Amino acid sequence: MAKKISVAPFWGCMIPVKYPQMELSVRKTMEPIDVELVDLDQFTCCPDPIYFKARDKIQWLTIAARNLAVAEEAGLDIVTMCSGCTSTLLEAKFMLAEDSELKNHINEKLKKINKEYKGTVKVKHIVVMLRDDIGIERIKASITRPLTGVKVGIHYGCHLLKPSQIMHIDDADYPSLLENLIQALGATPLTHREKLLCCGKGCMDDEMPLEMTHEVFDSMESVGVDCMGLICPTCFNSFDMGQILIARKMNREFNLPVIYFCQLLGLAQGLAPEDVGLHLHRIKVDRIMEMIGASERRLEMVA
Amino acid sequence: MTQRKLDFSFREKLNKIVGGNHHNYCYQCGSCVAVCPAARFSNDFNPREILLKTLLGEEEDLIRSDSIIWKCTNCYSCYERCPQDVRPVEVIIALKNLCAQQGVLPGDINKFSETLIKTGRSVIITSTVNRRRQELGLPELKDVNAQELQAIIE
Repeated sequence: MAKKISVAPFWGCMIPVKYPQMELSVRKTMEPIDVELVDLDQFTCCPDPIYFKARDKIQWLTIAARNLAVAEEAGLDIVTMCSGCTSTLLEAKFMLAEDSELKNHINEKLKKINKEYKGTVKVKHIVVMLRDDIGIERIKASITRPLTGVKVGIHYGCHLLKPSQIMHIDDADYPSLLENLIQALGATPLTHREKLLCCGKGCMDDEMPLEMTHEVFDSMESVGVDCMGLICPTCFNSFDMGQILIARKMNREFNLPVIYFCQLLGLAQGLAPEDVGLHLHRIKVDRIMEMIGASERRLEMVA
Repeated sequence: MTQRKLDFSFREKLNKIVGGNHHNYCYQCGSCVAVCPAARFSNDFNPREILLKTLLGEEEDLIRSDSIIWKCTNCYSCYERCPQDVRPVEVIIALKNLCAQQGVLPGDINKFSETLIKTGRSVIITSTVNRRRQELGLPELKDVNAQELQAIIE
């Protein structure tokens, strides 16, 4: 029997509140691959690597160190679901390992609440855990309805891979992580010219973010993808809601479903679209469900 | 002919912020510009120029709530590419920290940070959120320990 692993899920802020369907998909897909999620209720916001970090790097680092210490106390490694949380927690670990004086300074602050950051906890984005700790073969073994014929346009986002000096996840220019995982589900990963372009969300400008989003869609459309596969709630916001804005402001309709990796995993494990919350997406996924024969099952269930 | 006045006190201030001191390594090669999406999609954003202004101490231009630095996408491509370990995005974030110290943050960031410090989360939980979670069979979101968070950032 395959060994079960226990990890502390770090849900972050956006997923549980704005996109609970992503949380749902993670909770439903882990059992078949022998992962136990042990919720720790002491976690706070990671905190976010763009706005809060812009205000005060030391405060940002202190709160991140506290979250890391919470997991260390529980004796569990952290699994993140959001690229932003991954970025904050791994960068905090990097900074505290790089500078012992800084680590002492932060630990002085944590002492006020009887906590200490030691540096023993590991942090992995869920797709990295799937690759490194579960492995492609075990993922394949959990699949009952391969996503045969579905062409998935991959969007890596920025914070999973860069800077590679900190993240240590994959080649930042020629990554293969998501391609291999998508392939394990029986789907066809499609590369496209803007696979690594930023979604634009972190840029405080009225027009640029939407132009970037548009460029990514244009690139994916040119290679004929059926849906977009991604791993970050912030990117999801840019691309799902973003398509409504692009239609309104730029007069262009892509109508391309945007799907979080664990939702794709759930579909491949035979879950109904509702079981992974796909009905909550702005851009409807019906065409994909028809391709994999999931819509019929839904009708049966309703009847 | 007017001469440009160099002000090194600005660089000293920046050096005190974590990661701000790496601006000293910049030799203006422009590798950051080549990979910067904000430079690609706008006419005015240029990380090499931001580093140059930093080196020259042009504080008035940089430390403002409408400074060009806020258009950085935070994508970390420049950090990945920089041959000098300047970590330009981190220098830009250090500049933003100086904006905060001088009370010139864009309003959105203040609002966002206050929510985070008050509640421990960056997004507010409403009753609608928990109702939707219940419909999906997800556990109710409870308040997190914001007092602990407030105690350590004092």
